Amino acid sequence: MGNMFWSRRPDTLTQKFMRVHWGVLLVASLIAVIGTATLYSVAGGSVTPWAERHAVRFLFGLGLVLTMAAVPLRIWIGLAYPAFATALVLLCLVPIVGVETLGARRWLSLGPVGFQPSELMKVALVVALARYYHWLPSEHVSRPFWVLLPLLMIAVPVGLTLRQPDLGSATLFACVGVGLMGLAGVHWGYAIAAAASIGLGAPLVWNGLHGYQRRRIEVFLDPEKDPLGAGYHITQSKIALGSGGVSGRGYIQGTQSQLDFIPEKHTDFIFTIFAEEWGFAGAAILILLFILLIGMVLRMAHGCRSVFGRLLIGGLALTLFAYAFVNMAMVTGLVPVVGVPLPLFSYGGTAMTTIMVALGLAMSAHVHGQEPVRRPQY
Amino acid sequence: MFTPDDDDEAARHQTFTRRAMLLGGGQLFCFGLVGARLYQIQVMDEGRYVPLAEGNRIGVHLRAPERGHILDRFGEVLASNQEGFRATLIPSRAGDLRQTLAMFARIVPLTADEQERIVQRAQRKSRSQPLVLAGDLSFEQVAELSVLAPRLPGIATEPAPKRTYFHGDSVGHVIGYVGGVERLALDDDPVLRLPGTRIGKSGIELGMEEELRGVAGSERLEVDARGRIVRSLGETAPRPGRNVVLTLDVGLQARVMARLGRERRGAVVAMDVNSGEVIALASVPAFDPRELVAGAGADAWKARLNDPDKPLLNRAISGLYPPGSTFKMVTALAALEAGVVTLKEKVECAGSFEFAGQSFRCWNRRGHNRVDLHRALKESCDVYFYELARRVGIGALSRMARRLGFGEVFESGIALQKAGVVPDPDWKRGALDRGWLGGETVITGIGQGFVTATPLQLAVMTARLATGRKIRPTLIRHDAGARPVARGDAFQVLDIAPEWLDAVRTGMVAAVNEDGGTASNAQLDGSSIVVAGKTGTSQVSRASSERGQGELPWDLRDHALFVGYAPATRPRYAAVAVVEHGGSGGAVAAPMVRDVLGMLIVEDPAAKPAYRQPDAERRADAAGRSAPEGSD
Repeated sequence: MGNMFWSRRPDTLTQKFMRVHWGVLLVASLIAVIGTATLYSVAGGSVTPWAERHAVRFLFGLGLVLTMAAVPLRIWIGLAYPAFATALVLLCLVPIVGVETLGARRWLSLGPVGFQPSELMKVALVVALARYYHWLPSEHVSRPFWVLLPLLMIAVPVGLTLRQPDLGSATLFACVGVGLMGLAGVHWGYAIAAAASIGLGAPLVWNGLHGYQRRRIEVFLDPEKDPLGAGYHITQSKIALGSGGVSGRGYIQGTQSQLDFIPEKHTDFIFTIFAEEWGFAGAAILILLFILLIGMVLRMAHGCRSVFGRLLIGGLALTLFAYAFVNMAMVTGLVPVVGVPLPLFSYGGTAMTTIMVALGLAMSAHVHGQEPVRRPQY
Repeated sequence: MFTPDDDDEAARHQTFTRRAMLLGGGQLFCFGLVGARLYQIQVMDEGRYVPLAEGNRIGVHLRAPERGHILDRFGEVLASNQEGFRATLIPSRAGDLRQTLAMFARIVPLTADEQERIVQRAQRKSRSQPLVLAGDLSFEQVAELSVLAPRLPGIATEPAPKRTYFHGDSVGHVIGYVGGVERLALDDDPVLRLPGTRIGKSGIELGMEEELRGVAGSERLEVDARGRIVRSLGETAPRPGRNVVLTLDVGLQARVMARLGRERRGAVVAMDVNSGEVIALASVPAFDPRELVAGAGADAWKARLNDPDKPLLNRAISGLYPPGSTFKMVTALAALEAGVVTLKEKVECAGSFEFAGQSFRCWNRRGHNRVDLHRALKESCDVYFYELARRVGIGALSRMARRLGFGEVFESGIALQKAGVVPDPDWKRGALDRGWLGGETVITGIGQGFVTATPLQLAVMTARLATGRKIRPTLIRHDAGARPVARGDAFQVLDIAPEWLDAVRTGMVAAVNEDGGTASNAQLDGSSIVVAGKTGTSQVSRASSERGQGELPWDLRDHALFVGYAPATRPRYAAVAVVEHGGSGGAVAAPMVRDVLGMLIVEDPAAKPAYRQPDAERRADAAGRSAPEGSD
């Protein structure tokens, strides 16, 4: 059987290297460079503490992407469920042995390095769902039972992270997971049913939310309600954005941003800083870069022969999109503040790792895109 | 099997392509939304957010609401706010923090320790958030700080209203006091984030915190590089807290406190039996909230907390006492309602009661011979009520007690009320993990054993007995604001047969007014007004039954209790007195209730026109109109 499978000779490393989608890496690098420059500005014109490390992390990430790109898809398919199970177990462990920071338990301590199981889950969920749909015969995709199963795979991590409480990760799991089901071809009727049930279930979710989570949503709906309390982030962010105007206040000249008015200015709210300094023009260009990146990733997915590969790449597109959109919508006051970083742009090792690993998986799928991938037995 | 059906594969690929294009379209739409939003904020609304000059910046400042005042029923101010000044520090502007603090300490004394603590606090918090360095500055200090301002970067003085109390020594327990915010959750009211915010810690200040606090306002300010305000970009005015009008008559309260103050520890509650309004709520030892708010040092606090007399405890609502014989009305009603005794039936009292091999004494060793309900209440015969309790059982006793207000925490506006214990077998199993004993039913019949109540609960019981309605106590006059005040007939009728209630009331009248009654000290001398009441002497130690009270050390003597109402014919007021270790209810508590009822009848505060907040509606209106512009 092995012989039949490897009807072609495996590619050499050089061949694989040639097939890497350099365009995607180029746009990603561009975004990361702008991010680094902005971090330089946030620090008041200094490479420490953020800009330098951000750049180094991204370069490491690029190396990781290229390494992962050489790994054949059967390895990822083999790791899919074990990784998902591990992530689930770790997520369950967090409330018991996790480290509490800022009122939430999200981290596991592994000696000197902190580790957020929710980040592992962000990748593992995509891989596990891709594997699931790769295995599932297409006539089953829209059968209720086979829809329920992946929904459960999404709902459990959503529930676990909501309890930490980590509204940002829960949002991402839900968006990426459900989006992936859509890409896999689940009948759109389910989406309508889901929308209807969310409408009906919202009051229940509301009751389950933490006080601060509710307050964020309330304040989102009516920021005037609490201008300096929970609405503080949004109000300050809007003032800074507005003070940027069309052309911006200039690099390292964002007066609102340079002061301590903007919370989390090097992580979740970095887009505010960028948009104050570069104005609407700069912000629009950054948005276009993200649209371009995600569009290229989607095209990459389209060119892939296997369901598993397509969904891996689609998962990256969804992850990038969910991160970028939720972050930008959050700092502009379109959606409640949920604590999601801007991919490749915000400072932070965990989010960078997640994005680069997702990019590595997608690149691996692209590089091996023309190879058939054996369907697993179960 | 690894080669998928080609048609199937093609179909899947097609689906994927369609979905991917959908996703791409959705993506464009979503980012388009963000772009439109940015266009709105950055291009269309630009003028609203762009500072006038380069280097200026815009900040949002929270404006504190004024805390509501507390007034008595006639409008006498009991708590309000006084202008004061405080010094704040914004660490990011302070330069060398330690040096600046050392300079500051030359004007406003700060020990090295305190300075170090401020430095630590500054490191923990956002560097642009102001910290309070010192409250309650004198005018000289404010002046000196202004003069030296150039050498004190980051330090500013600002007006800071200070809570002030009037008649503090007589109403301290009722009003309570305010203090700093100790723990702050992310989702708390933004007012609590304001440096120097004070919130209620006990009494009305805590119980009515929500009404009193108000809602923070905010102002968007453009500030120049030196921190001077250039222009205001719109504000939302803070909504001041509501004034709270109490049912208390502070004049009467002061006199009741003076009367009670002759004792070391005790409490008095005076209530309008028809409305449930508490006219006086006294507790000794007293404390003056002015001393606590003016920044009593840690030593003064420690002294109060360690004082064995517990001066911070409001005994009228948080003091738990065995009700003793004042509980006998409960036992009587439970037994009458259950039909286990008739009004005429006589019980033999030979001075003690035998049950399950135990002997329970009557306070009168020689016994009362054959007593019926009337004489049992009048002379407070213990054996009669032991027998009734035995007959009716603990279940009926505890149910009747609850109907009369025992075990309940009332929504009266004052915080830290205790519920007390209305014991029954379930309670005992839960609390002590032991089974109920028959003897415990017997002693519950005379208000001893596990049963405890607060003086407020005893006053509620008395008011319910007097009116036959389910009176609920309150300290707040709601009609001064929006809600209508509860009138006597607004309360539900107690579901107890009027003839049983009458029999109990007649017994209470007899206890005060007939020869041989235990409460003759409660008679209003030289007045035609008849008082009804019941004494209670609750045992503190076993020793008290062996020796006379006078021979005992003070802290082993019995608590003295009395509950009464007047006039007996058409009840208006109820009063309850508890004197810790007073000895005998008839000798110590009854005369106190007599004096309090006398004051109430003579002054009749419930009949006088009460204060109405003239500007209640206007204030509400003003708050609603306060956001002229600048809402985003």
